[in-house]
Amino acid sequence: MQITDTLARPSAARIPWLTIGVWGGLAILVLVAYVRAPQATTAVLTSTIRQSTPIILGALAGIMCERSGVINIGIEGMMLICAFLGFLFNVWTGDLILATMGALLVGAAVGAFHALMSITLKVDQIIAGTVINILAVGLTGYFYQQGLTTRGKFSPVSIPVLADIPIIGPVFFSNPPITYASLILIVVIHVLLFRTAWGLRTRAVGEHPAAADTVGIAVNRVRYINVIIGGMLAGLAGAFLTLESVGSFERNMTNGRGFVSLAVMIFGKWTPFGAWGGSLLFGFANAMQSQIQFLKNQLPSWLAWIGDLPPQFIGMLPYVLTIAVLAGFVGRARPPAAIGKVYEKE
Amino acid sequence: MKRSVSLIILLLVAALIAACGGQQAGGATPTAAPATGATPAPARPTEADCPKPEVLCVGLVTDVGEIDDKSFNQSAWEGVKRAEAELGAIVNYVETKDAKDYDANIALFTEKGYDVIVTVGFALGEATAKAAKENPNVKFIGVDQFQAEEIPNVAGLIFAEDKAGFLAGVLAAGMSKSNKIAAVLGTNLVPPVVAFKEGYENGAKYLKPDIQVISTYHPGGLDTAFTDPKWGADQAKLAIDQGADVIFGAGGKTGNGALIETAANADKGVYCIGVDTDQWETVPEARPCLISSAMKLITPGVFDLIKKAQEGNFPSGNYVGEVGLAPFHDFEDKIPAELKAKIAEVDKGLRDGSISTGYKP
Repeated sequence: MQITDTLARPSAARIPWLTIGVWGGLAILVLVAYVRAPQATTAVLTSTIRQSTPIILGALAGIMCERSGVINIGIEGMMLICAFLGFLFNVWTGDLILATMGALLVGAAVGAFHALMSITLKVDQIIAGTVINILAVGLTGYFYQQGLTTRGKFSPVSIPVLADIPIIGPVFFSNPPITYASLILIVVIHVLLFRTAWGLRTRAVGEHPAAADTVGIAVNRVRYINVIIGGMLAGLAGAFLTLESVGSFERNMTNGRGFVSLAVMIFGKWTPFGAWGGSLLFGFANAMQSQIQFLKNQLPSWLAWIGDLPPQFIGMLPYVLTIAVLAGFVGRARPPAAIGKVYEKE
Repeated sequence: MKRSVSLIILLLVAALIAACGGQQAGGATPTAAPATGATPAPARPTEADCPKPEVLCVGLVTDVGEIDDKSFNQSAWEGVKRAEAELGAIVNYVETKDAKDYDANIALFTEKGYDVIVTVGFALGEATAKAAKENPNVKFIGVDQFQAEEIPNVAGLIFAEDKAGFLAGVLAAGMSKSNKIAAVLGTNLVPPVVAFKEGYENGAKYLKPDIQVISTYHPGGLDTAFTDPKWGADQAKLAIDQGADVIFGAGGKTGNGALIETAANADKGVYCIGVDTDQWETVPEARPCLISSAMKLITPGVFDLIKKAQEGNFPSGNYVGEVGLAPFHDFEDKIPAELKAKIAEVDKGLRDGSISTGYKP
């Protein structure tokens, strides 16, 4: 009885009226903005999706790990390693699909490494993640050579008919492949976690491993597989950076996006759609931060003071918004009960 | 079990230290003096001879970043290497990994008796001034370091970035069909970046008074503002999506991200303009859109100052180096002759002072 109760709480079963209200309000705002400035509005929304993609992929990686009870603060490092090796595969093969596959494989390997440390070797999971982060900065920085050039990056693929719908078309249906993949993965992982036996087992292992064990679930095997899947998702986020967004590598180019992913995961209460909302909010705030600077000279006189704010101040916008929403709307975020605890049979 | 865990962590840490250590050692090792043909001349002086007055030793301290950054550090280093080739100087560099190491890295050279130390970047200004006061016999060349007060043994190699930006602005306005152009910039905490921006906007408006210029500064601090290509790419896309058709990328790797993104959209008829060095050479990925670069001629500036130091007429205070537009390369034919004439005319006007960039530091 108690187990079913704890399992039910973090699921997405209840109708989130507040979330619907917030997003509905935003949708109306977008429509008003679109009527006034269609091109700029579409550009900001496209940028929102683009800037949220690595964040949501990282957050999905975190969800897979933490739902099964393994803390993963190494997402930043996993992203960086996979971004780097994905870039190298692209330099060597010149084939973007192969390079993405390579990044996924590397992600699986780094995920397995994290699982090995935190499950089999029982290293403190925070330390294991930190080791990955530090290793990533050190190794990629050491092995990266300047002057490597690639033959390009993924270009957007427009989906016929759908791409012609105003606003929604260019924003959702005219993206490069990894962005489409991330949108699909949000749904896939939601279904996986909340509608399949595997998801039930994952959550059981994350909430009450002893109980899961008594009904015959191989706790550590489930954890291993989930952490490896998480590593692959982080790998896809890394591939996004070097193969789709930038087209080349730069030392420490993740720039804290892996840590933002973790915040977004908590923001979304460990659910894929919640995390997506969080990363969209973050991406939107980032896009607005630039748009405010772009529009500096066209703001109406009563808003002119915004244009005079230093960019660093406006740059706080994403973080302030995140804190405000976390404090004001999200309420208490409760992690899976068995998170960070090594499971040992009694 | 406990033991094997500690062993693994120990190994990892060891690997990491080896990785970091290897890199630093690579930077600090003296560049081997090349064997000069078959002439059995007396052995070339080595770094150990630096304290001797007749041996010219030039050390370079990079800003946070690498010597081969395809930009600032690299251009300055090329000036130093020219001093090696033409003046027979002994040269070496050290790469700064963290802003708090500036003092220590400069000291690496002062301790060995180097005669000239080049410090690259605005951010090293304070550390340079401090080291110069402690080592009055060493000449310091501070690339991009404006000297508010004159120190006898420091020459700040500065550039009129507003003029380079102004020329880029004229070019951008001349090439724009949508009458909307953009700039993706490093941080406004660095005055030269602000100068580039103001010059660019005023140059564009000089040619087309009704043109719309949208520009954006990176909101981060000095540690991230120039090394965030993803941010740069995102801004370029955001600007292109709302109709900007010439993008000026001015901000190290961040700006390079904007150039490469613009190149990916080159089929939409958008152009990009690079900064600091001729980015046709440094960022080949940007070639599909790169019409020119707003250049600071750092290499000749550094070399001239080293030469002056050797000749004993080292200038102190601010030394203004040359700026200009890089060649148009593949776009030579696509840039109208009238526009080229106009740019030449503006360049002349900027030099003789008949045109003002409107930028006030």
